Amino acid sequence: MTRILVVDDEPAIRRLLSGILERGGYQVELAENVREAISAVERSRIDAVLLDLGLPDRDGLEAISAIRTKHDVPIIVVTARDDTAEKIAALDLGADDYVTKPFDCDELLARLRSALRRSGKAGSADAVLTFGPVMLDTAHHRATCREEPVMLTPREFSVLATLMEAGGRILTHAAILERVWGKAHVGDIDYLRVVIRALRLKLEIDPSQPVLIRNEPGIGYRLMECPSSK
Amino acid sequence: MRSDTTSYLFGLIGVVIVAAITATWLPTLGIASSALLFLLPVLLVAARGGLGPALMTAAFGALAYNFFLLPPRFTFRIHGFDNLVSLFVLFAVALVTSRLATALKARESEASHRATANAEIAQFSALLARGEASDAVVAAMKWLADGYGEARFLSQGTLPEEGNGFSTLDLSAAAWAMHNGDITGHGSSVMPAADWTFVPLNPRRQSGTDLLAIARPVSGNTRDESGVLQLQGLARLLGQARDRIALDMERQARERLEDRDAFRRTLLASLAHDFRTPLTVVTGELAKLAHGDAGAANALAEAKRLDRMMNDLVGATRIESGALMPHIGAVDLVDVVSDAATSFDGQNPTLRLTQTVAADLPLVEADPVLLRHILTNLIDNATRHAISAVSIGAQDRDGSVILAVEDDGPGIPETDHGRIFERFSRIEGDDRSGGSGLGLAIAKGFADAMGMIISVEESGSGGARFCLVMPVRKIATP
Repeated sequence: MTRILVVDDEPAIRRLLSGILERGGYQVELAENVREAISAVERSRIDAVLLDLGLPDRDGLEAISAIRTKHDVPIIVVTARDDTAEKIAALDLGADDYVTKPFDCDELLARLRSALRRSGKAGSADAVLTFGPVMLDTAHHRATCREEPVMLTPREFSVLATLMEAGGRILTHAAILERVWGKAHVGDIDYLRVVIRALRLKLEIDPSQPVLIRNEPGIGYRLMECPSSK
Repeated sequence: MRSDTTSYLFGLIGVVIVAAITATWLPTLGIASSALLFLLPVLLVAARGGLGPALMTAAFGALAYNFFLLPPRFTFRIHGFDNLVSLFVLFAVALVTSRLATALKARESEASHRATANAEIAQFSALLARGEASDAVVAAMKWLADGYGEARFLSQGTLPEEGNGFSTLDLSAAAWAMHNGDITGHGSSVMPAADWTFVPLNPRRQSGTDLLAIARPVSGNTRDESGVLQLQGLARLLGQARDRIALDMERQARERLEDRDAFRRTLLASLAHDFRTPLTVVTGELAKLAHGDAGAANALAEAKRLDRMMNDLVGATRIESGALMPHIGAVDLVDVVSDAATSFDGQNPTLRLTQTVAADLPLVEADPVLLRHILTNLIDNATRHAISAVSIGAQDRDGSVILAVEDDGPGIPETDHGRIFERFSRIEGDDRSGGSGLGLAIAKGFADAMGMIISVEESGSGGARFCLVMPVRKIATP
């Protein structure tokens, strides 16, 4: 059974998250602060961590690096602060994703699934990537969407492949730019906007109301699960 | 005057003594030594200062010398040239010595005056530097009153009424002093007939100055020039002390204000943070119930609105504190509109929310987070006033993109179009609004911060249409 560690100093939030997670079929462990969280990760097998950033003993960002230096366990930040810079910092330090309080529980579970999927196939670089209706054959540089072949430019292909490898996890603008255009272009968000727009025209059913490639304002892009349900 | 009389007396007595001695012992002393002895009283009197007594002593001495010693003795007849020489020498000694002595005396008295004045200034500065500044000024004023005469402050622009101890002439002198920065009134060269002396506290200030008014000395004497000069120095010190007090008070007031502001900001930020914990639990638990329960779904929608209001409060403090620094970059309106619209999904099933943003619309220049907040507030406002439909659209026009949010509600009377973006403004007679009253003000504040224009007009259906004009981003091709 998948074990999730919930780190939050508020008992009510711990109860809420336990409820949501247990109903989602997960086993839950609880921690109230960074010290307990680190010892829980050391002590037992944890498959993912839901980490509040506003903890009493240490800064949540410190907790991310403390866990990351020793463990590859997926970390999802749960924050009450609406601070874009802090979220980006958390992602840069190695958090897999974030949700902002008050969160939607379906959204939370979706993020968790994506994060767990990442850890499940870590290290294995698949030649064929699939996400929702999209399939990418990286070896032969071929793409299909809803079984139809799609012609993609190398940049578009590269951006899409990057997003698909993340498998629904958020990627910061800077991370995508660095991966596709190189370190010198991490600030050139215009490039990314143009390519995303082109990808939407080729992949989305209604490009003016995109459901597959989702933007998080000021942070980055992610692919959304089961776009057909929206 | 009295010292002069004494000097005359000294001179006479001195000459009489010398005459008696020389007359008695002339055979022993000889005429030359006796003549020299007559210099003594002249020197002594001249050294006391005062030309008159010295000359008188010289003349009297010459007469005595002539009468008692010069042959023929006991007559005033003069024989020969040598007698005239001794007379001349006596006068010359009297003249030169008394001049020297007078000059020396004058310098001495000047030095002692200056020492007194400096000591006074030092004492005054020490008084002003002691303890609380405003208490020190009161003490200094008392000190002035004790030493110089009744002292008062006259503030610029608030000349006292006549009567209050001031005559019409005094008040004219005061007005002159305030305006020109000169010392006026008693003891000065301007309107000296006044009963008070008016000394400017900040003589070099262009805009006029406050005054120190000092009454005529109780003794009734006229204040002399050095006294007036001294008052000028003291007044300047007093002026500096008062400037320091004013500056201090200003700084304290500013600090108090800043402290209060910082406190309010941190309070609100932590409040927003603490507020989200219970709100998260409430929305989370309601979301579990909301499937199939209209009541819970309604409560959930309201809880979400509560969160938006909290965001508005935080936004309002950010605008007010001037801490808003937009990160302008390329933004795809498709992203912002779909993101903002999603948060209203299922919130009001009776409303139709339509988005018409062309996928090939140019990118715009904006801060994506602020822009989303603006749009969220505009949609929130529209959903609260719409009857059946809210539509979000964007159009490209002359190098700008116009984002419009419109509803089919009752609309906003044209007279209120200017007022609608003010804080806490709601349209009269509108009982359905239920907003925080901050939403549109924040939309305007954020738009201003990004240099965008936000406006309202009547929509085609008679409802309200809010428009936000943003610049098109010129794209560097990848």
